Amino acid sequence: MTRVVEVPTQFDDRSFDQFAKAFGEPDEERLLFDAHAVQWGAPYGLLGLLVAGQNTVERGAQRPRLTIPTDKDVLHYWARTGFFEFAGEWFEIHGRTPRASQSRSSEVLLEITPVRGSDDVHGVVGVIQDRAAAILSGELGLEATATMGFGMALSEACQNIVEHAGTSGWVAVQTYHWRRRLGRRVVVITVADAGMGFRRSLQATQGGRYGDRWGDATALEAALIQGASRFRDPGRGQGLGGIRRYVNRWDGKLSIRSGTARIAIVPSWDDDIPLADGLAPFPGSQMLQIIPAQQAE
Amino acid sequence: MNSIDLKTILNRTVSTGYGDLVTRHTGRAVRGGVEELLESVDGSQVAVIDFGAVGCLDISCADEIVGKLLLEHGGARAFLLRGVTEAHCEAISLVLERHDKAAVAEDRQGQCQLLGPLGDNVRRAFAAVMEDGPTGATDVAARLEMPTDATERVLDELLERRLVQHEAGGYRALTAL
Repeated sequence: MTRVVEVPTQFDDRSFDQFAKAFGEPDEERLLFDAHAVQWGAPYGLLGLLVAGQNTVERGAQRPRLTIPTDKDVLHYWARTGFFEFAGEWFEIHGRTPRASQSRSSEVLLEITPVRGSDDVHGVVGVIQDRAAAILSGELGLEATATMGFGMALSEACQNIVEHAGTSGWVAVQTYHWRRRLGRRVVVITVADAGMGFRRSLQATQGGRYGDRWGDATALEAALIQGASRFRDPGRGQGLGGIRRYVNRWDGKLSIRSGTARIAIVPSWDDDIPLADGLAPFPGSQMLQIIPAQQAE
Repeated sequence: MNSIDLKTILNRTVSTGYGDLVTRHTGRAVRGGVEELLESVDGSQVAVIDFGAVGCLDISCADEIVGKLLLEHGGARAFLLRGVTEAHCEAISLVLERHDKAAVAEDRQGQCQLLGPLGDNVRRAFAAVMEDGPTGATDVAARLEMPTDATERVLDELLERRLVQHEAGGYRALTAL
């Protein structure tokens, strides 16, 4: 038996819960991820797809099938993000995938890149500082110091995988012109993993403090708002606070989804809610950072 | 030893290709390299940690290097963080706040500032010592229009935290030998 997991036609952070619901709880059926009708897939969605594939394979189920988008533009965009370089490991792909273009797309600041250890984080930060400086200061109007802060925010997000996930993950950085949603350019960092998630990571050190209230939502609050860590070293747990401060300073958005909850630092230009609980469960954690172009005073 | 160049230590202990101080793993390795060098330095000397050739500094690495150096060695010797950028200062400040520590940071133009959770009077007294050179509590008190005993307490806090040095009859900025 095959169960079809429909991929939303507009596949990004705002439709992700729909995807998580379709993915559902593990069962014995073989999964078919149906992306044929996708009209737009942001890296948040693409990394989620990789996580779903990885999670399915790592729990011993049959490698799922993936039908790729029929829209050529969408398909080529997916190729430019580097998605197909990794999708083959976790999916049996149905459809002809385009060869990734040798010339990098200007909107892709960092292709989908695996994060497995400290060396990967160094590589990601080194690459992004070269590529992002002109865009951050030139096109987004951020001060020059924002570029270094951007590297910090990216590094801390990736380290969340290295230090807490218990497995590997991915990172991608894009820039877009959000004409309808915001009317400005934005740069978007997406980081995702199929690991243990915040609740399990913090369970031993924080779970007892919360008692019956302990869950995915309280774990996210403990990590992001209170700087809690699974390590007893008092210097731990500062990374997410640093990201939060950076995002606040540049009027950006930060969102972290883990398990059945999502927490967000919501700027005035966005209509997300600060904390959502009782969502469809999804493995690991997914982090989104959005830094918008600064408006002239 | 004039200063401890973090980029050199990074390249020696982690990888020659790196220019950024990111990740805890890297921070631990670099701190180990710094501590090796500190063993050969007289504790009365100011340990100058040079960030001048460092690109990005993340919070985890700042914690492993600056945070833990101050926690483990800050009681015995003074540290001066040289060649820091504004972005470095942001990362270091978060770490210092977490540990209730403070440090003197010198930017790439040679301007010094205090980083860490310190009161206004402490910062003003530090600025007075920096600007006036070796100076006594009475002069600082007059300049800041503060009572002498309160000024002495503030200067003692700077001294205790090893943010200024003491010399006969007064206080002076941290200087490398």
